[in-house]
Amino acid sequence: MKVDRRSFLAFGVGGAAGTALSPLPWKLTDDLSIWSQRWPWVPIPKDGEIRYETSTCTLCPGGCGIAVRMIGERPVKIEGRKDHPVNQGGVCLRGAAGLQYLYGPSRVRTPLKRVGKRGQGQWARISWEAALSELAGKLKALRNDGHPEGLACITGKDRGTVAALLKRFMTAFGTPNYFGPATSTHALETAVRTMTGQEGPVGFDLEHSDLVLSFGSGLLDGWGSPVRVFKAVSHRIERHAEVIQVDSRMSNTAARADRWIAINPGTEGVLALGMAHVIIAKSLYNQQFINQFAAGFDAFKKIVMADFTPDAVAGITGAAPGVIAELAEKFSQAKRPVALCGRGRGMVPGALSESMAVVALNALVGGINQDGGLRLLPDPAYISWPEPVMDPVALKGNQAPRLDGAGDHPVFSPATPNRFFDQLRENAARTPAILMVAEANPLYTLRDTQAVEKTLKQIPYLVSFSSFMDETARQADLILPNHMFLERFEDVPSPAGFSRPFIGLSRPVVAASYNTRHIGDTLIDLARRLKGSIAAAFRWTNYETCLKETLGRKWDGMLKNGYWMNTAASPVSWNTLFKTRSGRFEFNGEDMAAPPWKSIHVAAAGDSSAFPLVFVPYDSIRLASGSVGNAPFMTKTVPDTVLIKEEIVVEINRETAGRYHLAEGKKATLATPRGQVTVRVHLSDRIMPGLVAMPTGLGHTAYDDFLAGKGVNVNQLIGPAKDPLSGYDAAWGIRAKITKA
Amino acid sequence: MKHVDSKAKKYGMVIDLDKCTGCGTCMVACMAENNVPFKKDETDKRLSITWMRVFKLTNGKPYPDNEICYLPRPCQHCEGQHTGHSPCVSVCPATATDYDSETGIVSQIYTRCFGCRYCMGACPYHARYFNWWDPVWPGEMEKYLNPDVSPRMRGVVEKCSFCYHRAQLAMEKAHVEGRKELKEKEYQTACTQACPAGAIVFGDLNNPEHEVHQVAQPDPHHHGRPKNPNAFRLLERLGTNTKVYYLSSREWVRRAGDNYLDSEGSASHE
Amino acid sequence: MDSALWPIGVKRCHISKFLMGLSIAGVVLLWGVVGLILCWVKGLNQTHMNDYYGFALWIWADLAVIALGGGAFFTGLLRYIFGIRELKNIINYAVLIGFICYSSALLILAIDVGQPLRSWFIFWHANVHSMLTEVAFCLSCYFGVLTIEYIPLILENRQLNKVPFAHHLAHNMHHIMAVFAATGAFLSFFHQGSLGGVAGVLFGRPFAYREHILIWPYTFFLFTWSAAAYGPCFTLLITWLTEKISGKQLVKENVKQLLAKISGWMIFTYIIAKIADTVYWALVTAPSKGFTLMDFYSNNPIYGIWILIVEIGVCGVVPAWILVTPRLRANPKTRLIAIILGVIGVCLNRWVMVLQVMAVPVLSFDTWAMYYPSWQEVATTILPVAYGVILILISYRYLPIFPQEVELNPIEPSPSETVEAMNDAAAEDAMVSNGEPATA
Ligand SMILES: Nc1nc2c(c(=O)[nH]1)N[C@H]1C(S)=C(S)[C@@H](COP(=O)(O)OP(=O)(O)OC[C@H]3O[C@@H](n4cnc5c(=O)[nH]c(N)nc54)[C@H](O)[C@@H]3O)O[C@H]1N2
Ligand SMILES: Nc1nc2c(c(=O)[nH]1)N[C@H]1C(S)=C(S)[C@@H](COP(=O)(O)OP(=O)(O)OC[C@H]3O[C@@H](n4cnc5c(=O)[nH]c(N)nc54)[C@H](O)[C@@H]3O)O[C@H]1N2
Ligand code: SF4
Ligand code: SF4
Ligand code: SF4
Ligand code: SF4
Ligand code: SF4
Ligand SMILES: [Mo]
Repeated sequence: MKVDRRSFLAFGVGGAAGTALSPLPWKLTDDLSIWSQRWPWVPIPKDGEIRYETSTCTLCPGGCGIAVRMIGERPVKIEGRKDHPVNQGGVCLRGAAGLQYLYGPSRVRTPLKRVGKRGQGQWARISWEAALSELAGKLKALRNDGHPEGLACITGKDRGTVAALLKRFMTAFGTPNYFGPATSTHALETAVRTMTGQEGPVGFDLEHSDLVLSFGSGLLDGWGSPVRVFKAVSHRIERHAEVIQVDSRMSNTAARADRWIAINPGTEGVLALGMAHVIIAKSLYNQQFINQFAAGFDAFKKIVMADFTPDAVAGITGAAPGVIAELAEKFSQAKRPVALCGRGRGMVPGALSESMAVVALNALVGGINQDGGLRLLPDPAYISWPEPVMDPVALKGNQAPRLDGAGDHPVFSPATPNRFFDQLRENAARTPAILMVAEANPLYTLRDTQAVEKTLKQIPYLVSFSSFMDETARQADLILPNHMFLERFEDVPSPAGFSRPFIGLSRPVVAASYNTRHIGDTLIDLARRLKGSIAAAFRWTNYETCLKETLGRKWDGMLKNGYWMNTAASPVSWNTLFKTRSGRFEFNGEDMAAPPWKSIHVAAAGDSSAFPLVFVPYDSIRLASGSVGNAPFMTKTVPDTVLIKEEIVVEINRETAGRYHLAEGKKATLATPRGQVTVRVHLSDRIMPGLVAMPTGLGHTAYDDFLAGKGVNVNQLIGPAKDPLSGYDAAWGIRAKITKA
Repeated sequence: MKHVDSKAKKYGMVIDLDKCTGCGTCMVACMAENNVPFKKDETDKRLSITWMRVFKLTNGKPYPDNEICYLPRPCQHCEGQHTGHSPCVSVCPATATDYDSETGIVSQIYTRCFGCRYCMGACPYHARYFNWWDPVWPGEMEKYLNPDVSPRMRGVVEKCSFCYHRAQLAMEKAHVEGRKELKEKEYQTACTQACPAGAIVFGDLNNPEHEVHQVAQPDPHHHGRPKNPNAFRLLERLGTNTKVYYLSSREWVRRAGDNYLDSEGSASHE
Repeated sequence: MDSALWPIGVKRCHISKFLMGLSIAGVVLLWGVVGLILCWVKGLNQTHMNDYYGFALWIWADLAVIALGGGAFFTGLLRYIFGIRELKNIINYAVLIGFICYSSALLILAIDVGQPLRSWFIFWHANVHSMLTEVAFCLSCYFGVLTIEYIPLILENRQLNKVPFAHHLAHNMHHIMAVFAATGAFLSFFHQGSLGGVAGVLFGRPFAYREHILIWPYTFFLFTWSAAAYGPCFTLLITWLTEKISGKQLVKENVKQLLAKISGWMIFTYIIAKIADTVYWALVTAPSKGFTLMDFYSNNPIYGIWILIVEIGVCGVVPAWILVTPRLRANPKTRLIAIILGVIGVCLNRWVMVLQVMAVPVLSFDTWAMYYPSWQEVATTILPVAYGVILILISYRYLPIFPQEVELNPIEPSPSETVEAMNDAAAEDAMVSNGEPATA
């Protein structure tokens, strides 16, 4: 065969054209591209009509109104309700990530009974019937033995019908051992109660204040009702109002404040009294309020003038005397100033006298129940069920001494979970036979985690109501999973710090996704199984009817609006405001053995020669440190100056770090009297010298792979410090040392 | 110029850095709206898909004079020096990212992108993200996926779309109601809507009645450079002609938005 | 054993030695294939690339290999268009090296993209404004040209050539090779250029950005020029290596010197242009974006100003000077140094224009992005080297790559072979040695 140029070209062109024209290559490439675009493992979400359901978010005490976007029966997005008085449209990142909780891998999907060793994570899935009859059997046995007080309950919520049902269950059953949460809100309310005689929530009218002075309150770090506070702080720019942040470290709040005053941690109350000194010395206080509506001012003045001179205060706080005077003048000369307390997110109550000092500062300028000031709100008091009738067993059990030793002080006897565990540790004989844990995760949130875990393990039978496999649930013998907030009805009274009487309504926007039950229904069912007076105390058919009946005339409106708000509640005049025996504002509190100002400064525990530095936990909005951990989206936003792979990063002043030869990003050993961990260091120009700061909310050992095993739980390193006055936990930090690892 | 008729829109944002708190809600709202995947470890920020990312800027001074500022960064929807000449659009060989001259939005067409990542190299804002892994939604999380935004597959680039599907939904609604024009707040992005501090304003930069226009005061003779003395755009000098404006009352923050030679005294945004 | 397949008149090593060489390269190739499969099956998470550093080691290898393969188009251009006849003695090898380089480049691109099965979208949904589209088109076409240039070489294998079809096909292809060489030169001009344009158009990256002539940034022209200038260095370097390994001289000194001289003058002119470009960029372009030259070179672990000095001075000015100086060019030692420096220089240039571009921060609050490759990247980057070695081993053994080999290394032929060789040599001579393609 001879190939000349013509036939060669013909061959070439023909071959190419032939191949190209054959369907094979085209079909193949087309198929390949289609396949690569529709890999079967990439989900195609089902489409449908969009509608919105409203509810209230209960992922934190913020009580924001939410609008849930639905596609058919499927929630696909959580947005803030524009027409909601609390959050007015926004949400926080936690609310925005809410659906990740609903469908996340850490949901407890059905009642579980422990089969392996405690905490081993081996479970048998059981029916509700089996689970409830087992628990009812154990509870009956307790009563049959005549020791109903052997039942204890820890809950992280103490407002609303769910908390009331739990408490009622305990009372009807016959045990006083109900332990609610103890946060800065509780300390503040106690302070307000002893100073004003008012029972009820305390609010701050941030929206109308022209000077917000925050004593370490993390206004932009999750304090109060976060979205509402964010809005108030941000809109101050248009109102030409100012925010001054007192903080030992530049928190997000300090960063966005108009002014950051760095003081030694734990000395906020001292600074408040130092300001009071200047205000009194310069007669800058509200004469009318002090003269006509206050009592105990002279005693207060005497102590403040003697012990809290600017120089003395400067010595303790580290703030210059001039700064203290300037702050005092600014505060007293503002039109509508307000001072806030509760460190960070307000998870730790703190010393009672510290809250009192801040309330006193507000009082000095007459900022009580005035526009832009501190508000005493009437208790919405809508839960008015008849007292449960106790049978003799219950009567006797309720007389038994409380396991947390609460009630040992005539006025202040808070039931704090820390004290409960402390008592158990001291006296193992007082260990309850059964512990129920609802909406709380003490194994993570309580100080001195190691000790709590040891103590918890000695309790023979642990029941958890958690919706998630959290640290405490993992140690449980029985888990009776509650519905998630998007699946249940619940009243959400008094968003933290909100300035109006308010009850939000959380309602199901989606049918329960798993075999879970509303804790209210579980309690009603349990009561029925226990029969007699206990069943009689729980006559409701189910939780929903209980809630409806309790809210009475408010119900219809709440169903329609999603909340109830008393807009008519106008500021009460000082004439009738104070319910103290004197009818006046009591500067030093009622029924105090002595003016409380001596115990205002709780020192950090530990020996300063062995532990030359001070460890301070700090809260950040991107990390949930309460009973419910971070959703994956939240953890995704955590910066690499906080977490690097699994390692937590602590902040330390650049100069201090130099003294310990620590370099940026390098590993170090951080030790406190309570524990020792390995960390990485971040040299910061935004923290006072001598401190080591660590974010709260990391170091989970439970939940899912997206949260567990990342970083360190600050509670491993810090123990509770008992406020001598109130018994509240007042630990804001602990002494520490850091060495190059 | 009172009345605006249906001429081309130029959707854009003004982010007030004096208000931004760095809370990260915009980041999460965006992830939730746009089916953004997540992994077990997201601490390597160079491998972490965040269409909206909040940067933390510092003035670099020592304690106690140090200051910080948070700067949220969505895609800047660059227009370039002539319409559609965005750094990324101009380089994409497969037209998988495009400039919509009706809205000014820079789109990303996942099913067309073949993952060459040239656009990522072109974008100076790091607004583009590659799907290095297959997306996985653990538990039953696939149930919450938003059908208006298709989940992406491994090997393609994704980025902020100014929630384009929301524009489409709003325009559909307007169409059904017989309207040609959207009202100012009818089309809002998920991040704008969620921001608890109200730091983000979104709207049509071409429309003098819209807040974004009034605040930023884009100068049509200088490719939209802001006339508001507190406003600036990121890397203005590169000629990217972005649609995200930032506000700050602090000089150092405005200056951090661009690069300046030491000899150039102060930030020059008249 | 396989001597019947050898080109006529040459001697090759024992087959066992050959197979040994093949298998060493094969093992390396296999390692690369493992990396490649991992990247395809598991995805690009097998690399250490990230969203800040979207281009990897292998993209640099890609650009470097294309620049080095530039010897093919440039030698082709000189040989077929400018009619420099001496170069016919090295053109085959230039073509082979080019073929290896370009097939490697395409393979690398197929690993590099996130959705290889959709790569053809670049043609189907082509964005004509994109430099990468230009690259893709020209690269694919030029690879086609190189294949066409390589096929006749294969067909000239002693046994294949006995098949009349193969013989005539090869013959005819040789006749129209000038057309392909011209096409190749044209295509190369554009894809070498557009590879330079890839970085040069990035107006969001002041380190890479260059002013334009029409739609092309200066880097467009610099890349083409540098490929033409340094490509021959690589051809010469590989030839030197092949001679060292085979222990024979394969190309005559005058041919090498000629190519070295051309390369030298090209580098010389290129480096002047490159210096002018650098000065303009440092003094005008970068400052207009708010950057000083040192912003691009300081505060990072590797990209010091040394890299610029080495690229332009040590690997640019020095080889240019050596190769244009007759005495130094004639000295094999200094020539070799110049060639090696040249090869390093162009590789360094491609490194800087791809990887440093990614590393330099642009936002004032950004930091330098550093990167080191994963083993999968290293393996897949070395894969083409192994593949190249294998192709060269086989081609050298069985194809008449070096026309001067027989003359330079005379052996005692067996009588039967002599006749055959004479016939073949006569045919070959008719085909290629009369310079112009004969009319059929
Ligand atoms: N945006 C935003 N805002 C947030 C958060 C966030 O991550 N982001 N976090 C939110 C979270 S998680 C919460 S819950 C709130 C804080 O609001 P809380 O409702 O107070 O949170 P909890 O963690 O449930 O309980 C807090 C306190 O209860 C006590 N406590 C813990 N365990 C137990 C227990 O077992 N029994 C008793 N009796 N008390 C216990 C602890 O001392 C702890 O100080 O802040 C919220 N605010
Ligand atoms: N993996 C996977 N593959 C799929 C699907 C899936 O769900 N998952 N779905 C399949 C189905 S049913 C379909 S219909 C197709 C859908 O395929 P496409 O319609 O090609 O892609 P989508 O992403 O679903 O559609 C919306 C696209 O519009 C782009 N866009 C955003 N902004 C703009 C803009 O301003 N202008 C323009 N023009 N576009 C913009 C978005 O980036 C997005 O890519 O994909 C199919 N393939
Ligand atoms: S602030 Fe609290 S209540 Fe509001 S959205 Fe966030 S988690 Fe929910
Ligand atoms: S949500 Fe708003 S305040 Fe929070 S980081 Fe984003 S822009 Fe800033
Ligand atoms: S910000 Fe980046 S991704 Fe967005 S349009 Fe500009 S160049 Fe493109
Ligand atoms: S990665 Fe995708 S979008 Fe980006 S340039 Fe390549 S094909 Fe275009
Ligand atoms: S505009 Fe939409 S896509 Fe872009 S960052 Fe905001 S929420 Fe995300
Ligand atoms: Mo919580």
